[in-house]
Amino acid sequence: MNRYRTFLMICGGTGCSAGGGGGKLKDALETELKDRGIQDEFKVVMTCCNGFCGEGPIMKVNPDGIFYKGLKPENMATIAEEHLYKGKPVERHLYQAPGRPGKVPLMKDIPYFNLQVSRVMRNKGLIDPEKIEEYIARDGYQAAAKALTSMSPEEIIKTVKDSGLRGRGGANFPTGLKWELCAGAPSDEKYILCNGDEGDPGVFIDRTIMESDPHAVIEGMIIGAKAINAKKGYLYVRIEYFMAVSRMQLAIKEARENGLLGRDILGTGFDFDMEVFETPGAFVCGESTALMLTVEGKRGMPRPTPPNSVVKGLFGKPSVLNNVQTFANVPQIILNGADWFKEHGVEGSTGSRVFALTGSVNNAGLLEVPMGETLNRIVNEIGGGVKRGRKFKAIHLGGPSGGYLPEKFLDTPLTFEGMEEIGVMVGSGGVVVMDDLNCMVHAAKSVLEFTVFESCGKCPPCRIGSQVLMDIYNDITEGRGKMEDLDLIEELSDEMIKTSLCGLGQCAPKPVLTSLKYFREEYESHINEGWCKAGECRELVTFYIDEETCKGCGACKRVCPVEAITGEKKKPHLINQETCIKCRACLETCKFGSILAGPASMREELLNKKAVEA
Amino acid sequence: MIELTINGKKVKAPPESTILDAARKSGIYIPHLCYDRRLVPYGGCRLCLVEVEGSSKLLTSCSTPVRDGMVVQTETEKLAKARKSVLELLLVHHPLDCPVCDKAGECELQDLAFKYGAAEGRFKRQRSHGPDYLDAPLVVRDPNRCVLCGICVRLCTEYQGVGAINLIGRGFKTMVSPAFGETLDCEFCGQCIDACPVGALSSKPIRYGTRVWMMEHKETICPYCGCGCTLTLGVREGRVERSVGKEGKGISNGDLCGKGRFGFDFIYSKQRLTTPMIRRNGELEPVGWEEALAFTAEKLSRIKETHGPGSIGAIGSESAPKTVEDSYMLQKFMRETVGTGNIDSAARFGYAKAQGAVKQAFGLDALPIDFHSPLESEAILVVESDISSSHPVFALRILEAAREKGAKLMVMEPRMTKLSRHAHEWLRNRPGSSVAVLNAMMNTMLDEGLYDKGASNVRNFAELQKGLADSTPEKAEALTGVPAERIKEAARDFAKAGRRLLCLTMGESENSKGANTVLAAANLLILAGSGPEALQIPAEFSNSMGMFEAGVRPDADGGLDAMAMIYDDGSPIKAMYIMGEDLLTAFPRTSEVEARLKGLEFLVVQDIRLTETAKLADVVLPAASWAEKEGTCVGATGIPQRAVKCVPATGESLPDWKIFIELAKLMGKGLGVEDMAGVRAEVERNVKLRFETSGAAPAFNPVAYGDGETTDADYPMSMVTGVLLQHSGSLTTFSNSLCSVVSDAYIQVNVDDASRMKLSDDAFVKLSSRRGEVFLKARVTDEVPEGMIFAPAHFPHARVNALTSPSTNGGHSIVAVRVESAG
Repeated sequence: MNRYRTFLMICGGTGCSAGGGGGKLKDALETELKDRGIQDEFKVVMTCCNGFCGEGPIMKVNPDGIFYKGLKPENMATIAEEHLYKGKPVERHLYQAPGRPGKVPLMKDIPYFNLQVSRVMRNKGLIDPEKIEEYIARDGYQAAAKALTSMSPEEIIKTVKDSGLRGRGGANFPTGLKWELCAGAPSDEKYILCNGDEGDPGVFIDRTIMESDPHAVIEGMIIGAKAINAKKGYLYVRIEYFMAVSRMQLAIKEARENGLLGRDILGTGFDFDMEVFETPGAFVCGESTALMLTVEGKRGMPRPTPPNSVVKGLFGKPSVLNNVQTFANVPQIILNGADWFKEHGVEGSTGSRVFALTGSVNNAGLLEVPMGETLNRIVNEIGGGVKRGRKFKAIHLGGPSGGYLPEKFLDTPLTFEGMEEIGVMVGSGGVVVMDDLNCMVHAAKSVLEFTVFESCGKCPPCRIGSQVLMDIYNDITEGRGKMEDLDLIEELSDEMIKTSLCGLGQCAPKPVLTSLKYFREEYESHINEGWCKAGECRELVTFYIDEETCKGCGACKRVCPVEAITGEKKKPHLINQETCIKCRACLETCKFGSILAGPASMREELLNKKAVEA
Repeated sequence: MIELTINGKKVKAPPESTILDAARKSGIYIPHLCYDRRLVPYGGCRLCLVEVEGSSKLLTSCSTPVRDGMVVQTETEKLAKARKSVLELLLVHHPLDCPVCDKAGECELQDLAFKYGAAEGRFKRQRSHGPDYLDAPLVVRDPNRCVLCGICVRLCTEYQGVGAINLIGRGFKTMVSPAFGETLDCEFCGQCIDACPVGALSSKPIRYGTRVWMMEHKETICPYCGCGCTLTLGVREGRVERSVGKEGKGISNGDLCGKGRFGFDFIYSKQRLTTPMIRRNGELEPVGWEEALAFTAEKLSRIKETHGPGSIGAIGSESAPKTVEDSYMLQKFMRETVGTGNIDSAARFGYAKAQGAVKQAFGLDALPIDFHSPLESEAILVVESDISSSHPVFALRILEAAREKGAKLMVMEPRMTKLSRHAHEWLRNRPGSSVAVLNAMMNTMLDEGLYDKGASNVRNFAELQKGLADSTPEKAEALTGVPAERIKEAARDFAKAGRRLLCLTMGESENSKGANTVLAAANLLILAGSGPEALQIPAEFSNSMGMFEAGVRPDADGGLDAMAMIYDDGSPIKAMYIMGEDLLTAFPRTSEVEARLKGLEFLVVQDIRLTETAKLADVVLPAASWAEKEGTCVGATGIPQRAVKCVPATGESLPDWKIFIELAKLMGKGLGVEDMAGVRAEVERNVKLRFETSGAAPAFNPVAYGDGETTDADYPMSMVTGVLLQHSGSLTTFSNSLCSVVSDAYIQVNVDDASRMKLSDDAFVKLSSRRGEVFLKARVTDEVPEGMIFAPAHFPHARVNALTSPSTNGGHSIVAVRVESAG
């Protein structure tokens, strides 16, 4: 076997691969190594996702721990020559913390990594997800072996219950209790299902886990199957997650070949097998009853409970459904015990969990932190603060079923109950940072668009209610709003929460209500002043240039797609109101804050002024 | 029983029930749009929300199970507010077109909006989300009125077992639609129309016809099949406008098939007879009653004198336009006034065969079915019978048993019927071979000791053993095409089931079974230890059993049956009196029938319409139809049911019983009754209308499988005739509504046969047998197996019976035919 001096760990996650990294990077690097005749000293490895997707494509140089970011295949020549051949890391591709001087060459020194914990994502950037041996080498399937050989179903359930693990999907139901209820339901046939359909926009946690550590999911399901005595499992993955689908399928095949799935697993007499169920993807299928109906080949619509799925689920049999992250937590709990899991987190919200941090933030990506951590730490310390130094406005937490939080809640601990108290939910773990360029009315409207599109259509409150809310928002953002509409939004939202059949309809008004509750002044300025101060609602804004601060740099002129901006160099520029399409490109570009967003009525004034001048 | 409190009232309910069930039972109304008693709870409309003490959430009463000590409130301020909001939302796009909506007056949404005051909603944003109107035969859809309660979809898929429609699209754009938005192509049972809580689905024949409140509603019995469903007729100004099924009414409890719901319009057929007619110079001419009756009386008297009473014969009818009273008076007239026992009906080719076999097997005179028996069975075996077409509502019970009660449904059937599609075990045998399969099942039971020990004491057990010794499943496989292993499995499942049921039909147009099939079926049941109650052979028409018991059957000593009267070369018949039967459509070997009728000295046809047979008559007497007269009907269940007079008789037509009274008087031998009361009193005195299965004396009657007519190079295909969902008996072909679904005669040909014969779908073909030829259209399908032709026999113009022949040996009478392109 070849012994290598150094391992070059190229991230093979979806984010990095899509950004021109992954395979292309690997090919380029290998060519460069060969050209220099040093290919036998270096092993190029495609690893699973590191989670720091915002800085991708990424490569680590082990064992030194040098961390390269934002790589392109054409950079490989320099790295091979300067670093790998001559031994001097290439400064240009090293990480630099936003707003701070100096490069940070080592991964362990980068706050994004060293402020996280590594449990569910403990294998990130380390193993090749397409090789079962690498998972096994990192204690993989030890927990399954322990559960199958030396634990009774009751003991498994007790351990999971003691750990306090709660579902990492939307509803956060205690996992051990769910298993216990299903184990207690009498039936000769039971099913275990894993939801990898992850429907929240901007969230890619389950997808990444399936792509990075597929065997952890399988192992979790095997342990769950033993706990409830299921013989068959389904992994529900949306079809457009093609890498997740193929890696899970490969992993299942490998597990089967190694006697970890199928008949008589590890010689224990326990039979369990599973398959990937590729779904066309629908947000409503996050509801267990709807999800199970689609596995049966029926239309995905929730049904009323009781009977709950644990009693009457897939094909009418008792079934357990957990999401990917939940199952991925299980092996470590079984292996290390409930107390180990509880080292992190707080009472009622134990363990760690992964968040997907996106939006106006410097370090976008996946990060794992203990439950009970504050948003402040996630956004400002790990996330490196708001992008381009803009002013923080809100966090959108928990996706379309969550809500908006203003700055005052940044130090509230992220616990399930704590978040519910202030009107949002941890939900699927999406954290979207919003800055002063985001209009909160517009933001709520965008989420509503999603709900309207994803409503299954079964019950009137959700089917028609969300559409009516959408109509009201269209009115407000297009200048037809009335103050009474705000009461109507609250009333209708309240009725939707009370009368909708499933979580989709019951949670759909949450973003609306929180945006109205915490940012009411924005609604009022839309309605009363005809003014969207963030400049997102085109009908309610007029862009103009502050002559006093404009330096005449011409940056705005260059980005304007309709050539509405005129002006000589170093003299204040002017926006032609007749041609301006309010795309906001100038506002986002101007470094001096000279582009201003005025109320809609200003346009008329400016046009009149121009006419008088002429 | 669970005890709970609803609105302060103590209520008791069985443990499995929901809050809504309990409330409905105790007369407490909870609003709902998506609940239907026949379906699993849906929880979609959010109107049946109730408050339950101890629960912070509002709960849907349709899906929440009752609990001991539960305290429920169904009308609170909070609930009224929630319901009002939901209604306001529904009215966002539901047009307020009640003034032109057929449903107005019985619309749930209208009533609820009235109750909760939600008409002009706060959320009103006028918009539509689909086309206004979608056309199809019989069913009209107005998608904008739809509240997406999903009842139609679920009823069609779960309950009817059809699945012609589903919800497509999602969210606000969700619509009820056939796949890919195509035109509706379904059974056209119309169950969805009755169940639709709003006006989104309506009945095309009465669209814009009448307002609900202008109709008077009357309950009567369906005139068609033996099920005997209760129809609620909407009558306005002396005209039947519609027919609907109502929950809690009759044996059908609100279920109807397309015939019951739409087929009533035969009474308004243009072919209805309005005056008596006499043939003069070869043409039928309208005459008055006096003249017609005098002429008939004189002719019959003369023939009786010349050739003796034995030269006169009569044919009666099984379906509801002819009641027990009519049948009784026909036979009384024939026996007392004319003096002959030559009386029979088309039941000779159907129900009479079953009746004879039942007598042989169990010693019973009649065997009614128990409508709900499937629901109590663990295994149901259906023998070459398309019960979903012949007795659609009874078949719903079979489907329900298989779907919800865990019954194992085994269907022996060459065709892809609704039952074979829903069967747990489909034994696709060759047409007519069911006796061989049944014998092989018994062979397995004997072989494996799976028979009831008491059976060895039943008469002829030894003969049965001997007779079946050679009927091994392996031999049956060669004869029937059903794999031996599956026959054995079926035998084991059937024998081991605690409560079993065997269902088959014996319709006059069905030629794939004979008396032997019934005997073999009875043998199987007796061997398994079941009694006659496990044998369900629904009599074909609405008054089959009534007619039979009223005496429309030949005298036991010397009376001629239909076979002897019509087909025997030496038939002494010179004159016939035909009441309500179209021999030229319903009787096999039509050309012989036609020759016989033409050769008669005198032919009287008393009917509601000018049938093919009536066109040959010397005298045609117009009879009042169903819904135009009082009477009693006894269908398959053996329960006498009252048919009610709802509208005046058409033209000068008279009830049949009345015609016989008048005629008898003119012939000088009155019948001793004057009015309905008199007839009814006699019927009650003389006709046994209660049937019992107790006192059975079972006996084995071993039967061997006989091949029937053989196919050869000239006639290579086997033609099976039978009923359609829309057409059974020629009465249906006079219904405009039913004809708007299926109006043209056709045969079904297997895809592979068709490609071999180069027949395209809808090709015009010549179909010939050893007895004749007819021309009709071919439909290419995979519903029939290779080598088989299926032909509905009910279209008078198609004369499919020109090709057929009655069975004389108890076997099937499948016909060997040839199909040629005639395009």
